[in-house]
Amino acid sequence: MRVCVPLGALFADAVEALSRATDVRPLADLGRRLVVEAGDGTTYITTRPSDVPTYVEAGAADVGIVGKDVLIEGAPDVIEVADLGFGACRMVYATLAGDDPTPDAIARMGGVRVASKYARVAREHFAATGRQAEIVRVNGSVELAPLVGLSDGIVDLAATGRTLRENGLVEREEIFTSTARLIANRASYTLLHERIDEFVAAMPGVLRP
Amino acid sequence: MSSAGAFMNAAGLPTGSRDVLPTEARELHEIEEGLRRAFDLYGYREIRTPAIELDAVIDRAEGERAAAYRLFDDAGRLLTLRPDPTIPVARLVATRLGERPDPVRVFYVATAFRPPTPGRAEAIELHQAGVELVGASGPAADAEVIAVLASALGSSGLSEHRIAVGSVVLIEAVLGALAIGEPLHGRLMAALRARNHVAWRAAAHEADVSGDAGRLLVDVPSLRGDASVLDRVSRAVPAATPAADELAATLNLLGRHGVAPAVVVDLGIVRERRYYSGIVIEAYAEGVGSPVAVGGRYDSIAARYGRDRPAVGVAIALPELHRAVVAAGAGPQPRRPGVVLVDGLDAALDAARAARRAGVPVVSVPDAADEARRLAEAEGWRFVARRDGDEFLVEDMEARETFRCAALDEIEDGGR
Repeated sequence: MRVCVPLGALFADAVEALSRATDVRPLADLGRRLVVEAGDGTTYITTRPSDVPTYVEAGAADVGIVGKDVLIEGAPDVIEVADLGFGACRMVYATLAGDDPTPDAIARMGGVRVASKYARVAREHFAATGRQAEIVRVNGSVELAPLVGLSDGIVDLAATGRTLRENGLVEREEIFTSTARLIANRASYTLLHERIDEFVAAMPGVLRP
Repeated sequence: MSSAGAFMNAAGLPTGSRDVLPTEARELHEIEEGLRRAFDLYGYREIRTPAIELDAVIDRAEGERAAAYRLFDDAGRLLTLRPDPTIPVARLVATRLGERPDPVRVFYVATAFRPPTPGRAEAIELHQAGVELVGASGPAADAEVIAVLASALGSSGLSEHRIAVGSVVLIEAVLGALAIGEPLHGRLMAALRARNHVAWRAAAHEADVSGDAGRLLVDVPSLRGDASVLDRVSRAVPAATPAADELAATLNLLGRHGVAPAVVVDLGIVRERRYYSGIVIEAYAEGVGSPVAVGGRYDSIAARYGRDRPAVGVAIALPELHRAVVAAGAGPQPRRPGVVLVDGLDAALDAARAARRAGVPVVSVPDAADEARRLAEAEGWRFVARRDGDEFLVEDMEARETFRCAALDEIEDGGR
């Protein structure tokens, strides 16, 4: 079985969760390798989190671990098998501290400018709440955008809220909460059903049967 | 250098469309021929429907508006490029073959068109081949279509595949027996369609069903395996037994069709299209992440075209099937036993004509031996020949040997 593991913030918890189901020793010492194989036949593919659904959807990996935020943003055609419970964070709309500039921007400028890595989430959040917004897609350090006047606010993930505070931003709206999910490729879920069921049963999770 | 250009679609094609070059075209052709042979063995006959239909006619079957390319004709009527082959086929069978005795068996090889979803690398032209069995219901008809599918996949060169079979009626029977009303019912079905098992389980827990039935309800999307899955459903939710038995009967018949080992029950399957009303089918193969075939029973569509008849069908995705055949280790095609003939355009024209009459393909090139060899290499022809006195000097590109022969129609015997 080929398991896609996200590097970065979810990595340690993902390895801990996997350790209940598979031999994770090869993941302890990755070095520069991106693909490692364990003695029990499990192949681990390590990628940046936003690429996990891509590998799983295409069938390059049978299962993967990824934040719900990535699934909502990308809407991949994969099976969302289980909520693993760890990696909790919140998707929020934040602006500079002080008066919320949002109502004024909408009233006077026709819309609010929002910078985000999550363009789809941001667009749908403002559409769903009946407000016009111009989404500015940025790829890193989103907090910078309102500081230098690129945007009125940002839509981004907040785990503890520390990054927001350090940049003088305050949360205005919570959009959703996210935890890590176990996802599976559609074909693999049927072709390897016994192996995958065993694997899922050993993993942690909430609301499991 | 070319980095700026690489961002542009150099071929000048719309996103999601692509060309097919000769080698792939030939492999696809052979796959299609394999499928046609299998369809024919079960008595399915080919039909063709237009790519452009009246939008109102296609829309009638969908219930909700499907994503499609739409355009206006000169009278201002809204037209649709068929987004799905099943509905036009159902229209044709209901309106043109309405008086034929049941059952009607037809197949098609057609292209459907779907606009791309922003940000996703999806094909906008869907090349499909499929069968529809109209005017027959019950396990016997369902099993036949699954058997045709298995046989067609085999005859196209894909020996290893899995056919997952679910049932929309069985899911509805379980939800009905447990008295699950709206809005929970809608949430559960939406979760199943989105393949979001987390959302399904959250809604199932809210339904607050106790005991075995409650545990079964939570497990529904992950129930897959052999017929014992259906026994579990019947035991936990006795009122769903008739629906479970019907699927069990289909499985039993599939055993007698000789395709049982390839079939797996999977209650997590519901197709995105809402017209499915009985069994649902998805076929998978190693090396391809998406289904190579999808289908199911859709009893309610024909009535919308004025002739109420049950129907079951399945559509095979040709590019996915081709990918699966390649992934299963089908090597490149062998060289074809044709001859690249130097001077075949003029000096050796008579010889070329004689060879073709004998069924030997001849590719004529002007006098330049290197070019002839390169052409044979690039296009996969086996022989390169040039006239040498009264005979032909023939180079066999496969056996890497040269021989002489008197006439090109003896070329396959190596001139002997």
